[in-house]
Amino acid sequence: MGGEADRIPDTPLLDRERRLRGYRINKMAMGLGDPANRAAFQADEPAYLDRFGLSDEEKAAVLSRDWSEMVRLGGNLFFILKISAVDPVRITEIGAHQAGMDHESFLRDRLGKKV
Amino acid sequence: MARIVGGLGTSHVPSIGAALDKGLRDTPEWKPFFDGYVPAQEWVREQRPDVAVVVFNDHFNALFLDRVPTFAVGCAPEYHPVDEGWGPRAIPPFEGAADFGWHLVDTLVDNHFDPEIIQEIKVDHGLQVPMELFWGRPPEAWPVKVVPIFVNVLQYPIPLPDRLYALGKVLGRAIESHDSDERFVVLGTGGLSHQLQGARAGFVNPEADRRFLEDIAHDPGKLAGWSREQYVETFGGEGAELIMWLVMRGALTPEVVVRHRHYFVPASMTGAGMIVMENT
Repeated sequence: MGGEADRIPDTPLLDRERRLRGYRINKMAMGLGDPANRAAFQADEPAYLDRFGLSDEEKAAVLSRDWSEMVRLGGNLFFILKISAVDPVRITEIGAHQAGMDHESFLRDRLGKKV
Repeated sequence: MARIVGGLGTSHVPSIGAALDKGLRDTPEWKPFFDGYVPAQEWVREQRPDVAVVVFNDHFNALFLDRVPTFAVGCAPEYHPVDEGWGPRAIPPFEGAADFGWHLVDTLVDNHFDPEIIQEIKVDHGLQVPMELFWGRPPEAWPVKVVPIFVNVLQYPIPLPDRLYALGKVLGRAIESHDSDERFVVLGTGGLSHQLQGARAGFVNPEADRRFLEDIAHDPGKLAGWSREQYVETFGGEGAELIMWLVMRGALTPEVVVRHRHYFVPASMTGAGMIVMENT
């Protein structure tokens, strides 16, 4: 599939381009599986991000919890979700943010929940 | 020789494990979901399987992008829960059936499938949640050994659905040629429809999910013939992991008897499905 994977609209898949582009941001987030790194992230987030060589653009996306931007920059949900273990946010809120919807509308209109 | 007592399919959504950890099993949100597994748990207790072959994917918890095996077989003596960011979950480690793991590797390679061989690894919700759903969380040790088959369904190119179905057929032959009296179940996990990333996040497709739960039993050849794009389009970006059910289905006989089936939507952001099948 490679570069053809994005033929399905609004559905970013982890193809070669995204893998290379998002490698640093995903490696940074993967690190949060270690309690020492979670402590470092909490203590001084910019310094933790610098350890993984994130660009200014990538750092800004992470620091502002801009989930759509993190994904645009190659971040993959299974990695960046680990940020929510340190700074709690529901996965449905991350979904709503990417869909450009408020949380209640997202639950109702996308997931069919009665809210 | 060993024999297959059944094939189980289930979603492996992490929120299911979190709901159990938080004591939410009987809340209005979760009770209808968990109640659907009660008949399947009774089936498991009656069948008393000795070994569970669990087909699943690591969600970048134990494996990183530095090395991405398309297929990997666990040959480890035990598998501990991995830290997914919240600390390792408080469930017992899983004992591995390493003798069958090696027999499976031998059989796969003899049949032109060449997996990575894993001796030491931790397992994430992809394996934990299905085990808890079918066996319940044991106080001390799991009453069944596991053999994990890891499939890459995240880093493209992911394998063809047809290839997974073919792998399942070899898995079935490996079990039936294994020199033991053990009773095996095969678990296909993941799905059903869900999408976590991009502007289409929150996509679910209950109609297609229900169709899938029919077809996986009675028309698996059709599902094996689908393209990966069809899976992504029909079941969502992450819903494509449903192709792993084809490994489980391939290990069973062409005709099967469906003992139990359940569907619930949404479990977190996912259409959650379950099936219990026996060979004819």
